[in-house]
Amino acid sequence: MALGDSDHPADIDEDLHSRQLAVYGRETMRRLVASNVLVSGMQGLGAEIAKNLILAGVKSVTLHDESVVELWDLSSNFIFSEDDIGKNRAVASKPKLQELNNSVVVSSLTTRLTKEQLSNFQAVVFTDIDLETAIEFDHFCHMHQPPIAFIKAEVRGLFGSVFCDFGPAFTVVDFDGEDPHTGIIASISNDNPALVSCVDDERLEFQDGDLVVFSEVQGMSELNDNKPRRIKNARPYSFVLEEDTSGYSTYERGGIVTQVKLPKLLKFKPLKEALKDPGDFLLSDFSKIDRPPLLHLAFQALDKFLCDFGRFPVAGSEDDAQGLISIASAMNDSAGDAKLEDIYPKLLRSFAFGSRAVLNPMAAMFGGIVGQEVVKACSGKFHPLFQFFYFDSSESLPAKTEDVGDFSPLNGRYDAQISVFGSKLQRKMEEAKVFLVGSGALGCEFLKNLALMGVSCSHQGKLTVTDDDVIEKSNLSRQFLFHDWNIGQAKSSVAASAAKTINPHLKVEALQNRVGAETESVFDDDFWETLDVTINALDNVNARLYVDQRCLYFQKPLLDSGTLGAKCNTQMVIPHLTENYGASRDPPEKQAPMCTVHSFPHNIDHCLTWARSEFEGLLEKTPAEVNAYLSNPSDYSKLMIKAGDAQARDTLEHVLEYLDLERCETFEDCITWARLKFEDYFANRVKQLIYTFPEDAATSTGAPFWSAPKRFPRPLQFSTSDPAHLHFVMSASILRAETFGIPVPDWMKHPRKLAEAVEKVIIPDFKPKKDAKILTDEKATSLSSASVDDEAVIHDLIARLEQCRMNLRPGFRMKPIQFEKDDDTNYHMDLIAALANMRARNYSIPEVDKLKAKFVAGRIIPAIATSTAMATGLVCLELYKVLDGGHKLEDYRNTFANLALPLFSMAEPVPPKVIKHRDMSWTVWDRWIIKNNPTLRELLQWLQKKGLNAYSVSCGSCLLFNSLFPKHRDRMDKKVVDLAREVAKLEVPDYRRHIDVVVACEDEDDNDVDIPMVSIYFR
Amino acid sequence: MSSPSKRREMDLMKLMINDYKVEMINDGMQEFYVEFHGPKESPYQGGLWRIRVELPDAYPYKSPSIGFVNKIYHPNVDEVSGSVCLDVINQTWSPMFDLVNVFEVFLPQLLLYPNPSDPLNGEAAALMMRDKTAYEQRVKEYCEKYAKPEDVGAAKEEKSSEDELSEDDYASSDEEVMGKADP
Repeated sequence: MALGDSDHPADIDEDLHSRQLAVYGRETMRRLVASNVLVSGMQGLGAEIAKNLILAGVKSVTLHDESVVELWDLSSNFIFSEDDIGKNRAVASKPKLQELNNSVVVSSLTTRLTKEQLSNFQAVVFTDIDLETAIEFDHFCHMHQPPIAFIKAEVRGLFGSVFCDFGPAFTVVDFDGEDPHTGIIASISNDNPALVSCVDDERLEFQDGDLVVFSEVQGMSELNDNKPRRIKNARPYSFVLEEDTSGYSTYERGGIVTQVKLPKLLKFKPLKEALKDPGDFLLSDFSKIDRPPLLHLAFQALDKFLCDFGRFPVAGSEDDAQGLISIASAMNDSAGDAKLEDIYPKLLRSFAFGSRAVLNPMAAMFGGIVGQEVVKACSGKFHPLFQFFYFDSSESLPAKTEDVGDFSPLNGRYDAQISVFGSKLQRKMEEAKVFLVGSGALGCEFLKNLALMGVSCSHQGKLTVTDDDVIEKSNLSRQFLFHDWNIGQAKSSVAASAAKTINPHLKVEALQNRVGAETESVFDDDFWETLDVTINALDNVNARLYVDQRCLYFQKPLLDSGTLGAKCNTQMVIPHLTENYGASRDPPEKQAPMCTVHSFPHNIDHCLTWARSEFEGLLEKTPAEVNAYLSNPSDYSKLMIKAGDAQARDTLEHVLEYLDLERCETFEDCITWARLKFEDYFANRVKQLIYTFPEDAATSTGAPFWSAPKRFPRPLQFSTSDPAHLHFVMSASILRAETFGIPVPDWMKHPRKLAEAVEKVIIPDFKPKKDAKILTDEKATSLSSASVDDEAVIHDLIARLEQCRMNLRPGFRMKPIQFEKDDDTNYHMDLIAALANMRARNYSIPEVDKLKAKFVAGRIIPAIATSTAMATGLVCLELYKVLDGGHKLEDYRNTFANLALPLFSMAEPVPPKVIKHRDMSWTVWDRWIIKNNPTLRELLQWLQKKGLNAYSVSCGSCLLFNSLFPKHRDRMDKKVVDLAREVAKLEVPDYRRHIDVVVACEDEDDNDVDIPMVSIYFR
Repeated sequence: MSSPSKRREMDLMKLMINDYKVEMINDGMQEFYVEFHGPKESPYQGGLWRIRVELPDAYPYKSPSIGFVNKIYHPNVDEVSGSVCLDVINQTWSPMFDLVNVFEVFLPQLLLYPNPSDPLNGEAAALMMRDKTAYEQRVKEYCEKYAKPEDVGAAKEEKSSEDELSEDDYASSDEEVMGKADP
């Protein structure tokens, strides 16, 4: 492509990594692509870390392990199969990890590491190393020039730890990954310190102590010097600037204030020092505030146990547990000031029992955390973990303690898991009937986790996974069960068969149905009633709300999770214990007001929104209207006449333009059209706008019309020597040609030839529409022109269309173009970026490159493998509780985490709201049942007896009865089920014996009472 | 506050209790029409509009979308589509507001105090800023031409005939209803 962006680095595959680029940006990706990483210890955790790094696209990953694959490893390592038992772990891992991303060099090392070998890497990760060697290696890395990032991570049963040392002076380039906050200035005082207020368009998000720079300030131009200044007293619409502005010029208008993010320097302690003086631990759960120091001790005690005995404590062995407790106790006694009051022997006992086991959910969670830390070490993006993190999920243990014999190995692939939870829970998991909704990024991770945990892996078990999507290239950077040869295939089928290779016992059925009201014949009552649990792996709120309603209705647990960039959250919905998903909601996303997008953009997002909607109008909607007309001219015309409004008139005008004046027959026609569009969009419309609202226009109150946040636009003067102008014409004419089925000639890709063709287009002079400026005495004439009957115009337009149709070749149709963001060669994003940038130029808004344009206009949700893996690990830790049954609310955890900060915040779920009326009480999980096929009157009387006055009854989104509609009184003696069938058009399947209605009631004192859904049995 | 599913019903009820003429399409609660009178002491006095109200799935967390069905000359209303660029609705909406607020406060405020600095109908805004008298004259002419009871009624008749149709359905046998079950 001759006119394409020239700034594509050849080394990043942007189609593959678009979702990840939206999180990291190009600079971080460039650094990642240059990094060599060592992952030592290829059990479950090592495999997860390596997977995340290979997906992220580092330069090379070296896998190190000196031992061979054991049956025990199959509980947590998704790479190994039973055939690999006896092979070296690193060697067995290499080929399958390599498949995830061919541009990463994956190699294996099977011999004892020397510290000198560490010099080959920018970051080294150890998942299975004794403390003495760790201290030696860390020292080497810490002192190395330049320092090598050292990470030690372990998962032992339901306990995990991470330690990071990125050297004595590590620079964090971007500590949170958020775009710098900005504000539009309304006034600045001449004062010491100065008060800056901003327009009340958007709340400011500055914090006290932030540094900011100013630009475009008129009047007090002294501030436009690009010097960072510190602020305080940050409020939603103002802040105080620590600067004496009393001697500066007076503020007039305009100005933008932008946060400056300065790099941060971190001084890491080496492991030896940090062990003694660990500093603040990163806390994840406020209900376990004293836990991290205890686990700091426990992990050191375990290391000593391993050194002393040369093996792990045996699950269920009270002697071994006691041995570990004694070591911990002795270490604690000699800890001096750091001595803990209580070492919780009971907790240490379960730590000892599970210590040999690497559990898949723990590996997934820590694989995400550690993978992210490696990315931070290599790129300086996001704030590193400083320096210890400890976590445990001891609440996942069965609610009733198992007898010790239950932990003994059965010589199967789940032995590690059995050693922690016992064989009884293992059986429950294998027999579970699970519904996994979605098999995208979260879904792939879940399938892997469930397969390894043995969920739905016996004959009684069944896992149903459904997803209506097919695999695209941009999925591959984190949906790791898919490979490039799967592109175009159904996600659920490919993922399910990949999960079966991980564990051949998995009983999985893959469906391609979207879950929603339209598939209730597939996911029918029988289906829901057999389920033990539903797991959401969805990417949108509406689908989540739907599944939530179904789970609520069928009283099934729902485990929900979601990610956004480095952030993730999990929410457990447990019947009767917790509130449901829909009970609390985030405020909807803020959209820019229409008028702003229309004529007064003040940031690039507004321009991109406009560009996207123009793209749709020009290339999709109008061509589709043209086809609708041509397919059935008489019906189409009748419809338009019937509508008879301004909108119908507008549509017809567009259709006529396309078939008459603007119809294209040759590629030159398309160029002419594109060139005239440029003139219309970026010159004439702006000229019209500033004609209507001149720069000095004032509102009725005398205030200047063009004041912040509005920006005064200037028309563009087209020039073939401006590559951006030419790029617009090129992409617009190519797409225009596509809608008319005109082949694109090769010559047009040469800028000079294209420019020559464009020069030939004759541009009529612009004459402003004077309508708005009419004087009072001319009013009579103006009104008649402004308000000609739409109907008359529509008739005229239809007549003209008829004539045009006669001149078309028979069977002529246009080809509407649907916006597709992920194809880099289709010119869609080229046109959108060009539209947006030319408009930005009109309004002196900074332009963006095609990649940024794609993120905004394509509404690309930033996504990375690390946070996804972590979310699914956390959910599976909860799954142990759900499938065990009998856990209390306080055992469950919801999580919000942001790997960028890093932040982990776990809390007990919120219980459902209890409603009381008279001596009754209920929650959203309850339902009332009325039998014997009642009439509407009988239903109302039944409620009346409970002291409830029902004023409205609805079924779905249809009203069956409302006391304010007189005509609804006639419905009183109809059976409710008949009303539902007739009014709400409800189709009741033959097997179902009831329908459900929502009733709005008041009590005796006219207070609204939120009653449960009412099930009406009619047969 | 009541659960979201019941909010639609309650908000509709409140509108009707406050004597608004609400017109539903086949008893559905997603989308309906409300008659709205131009506020007194404004050039819109005497005008009558049919307002299309759409409650999004996320209502009341998300604001209702509001459009004028018959024409109105107003700086903040798009002449072609009738959509309102209502910052007061879109930007300041909170689930605490309801439909009565929209018709008692938001819309009257909009007609009493148009905001020409954020115009959707630039021509109307410019005229209002330059020549208030001419602007008010134009508003009244539009009211005269497009916002009489007949204009609302004419459009309504069409709809109410549909409504009657649904009543026919209602009276007809199950078979026929089944045939039309999936519109």
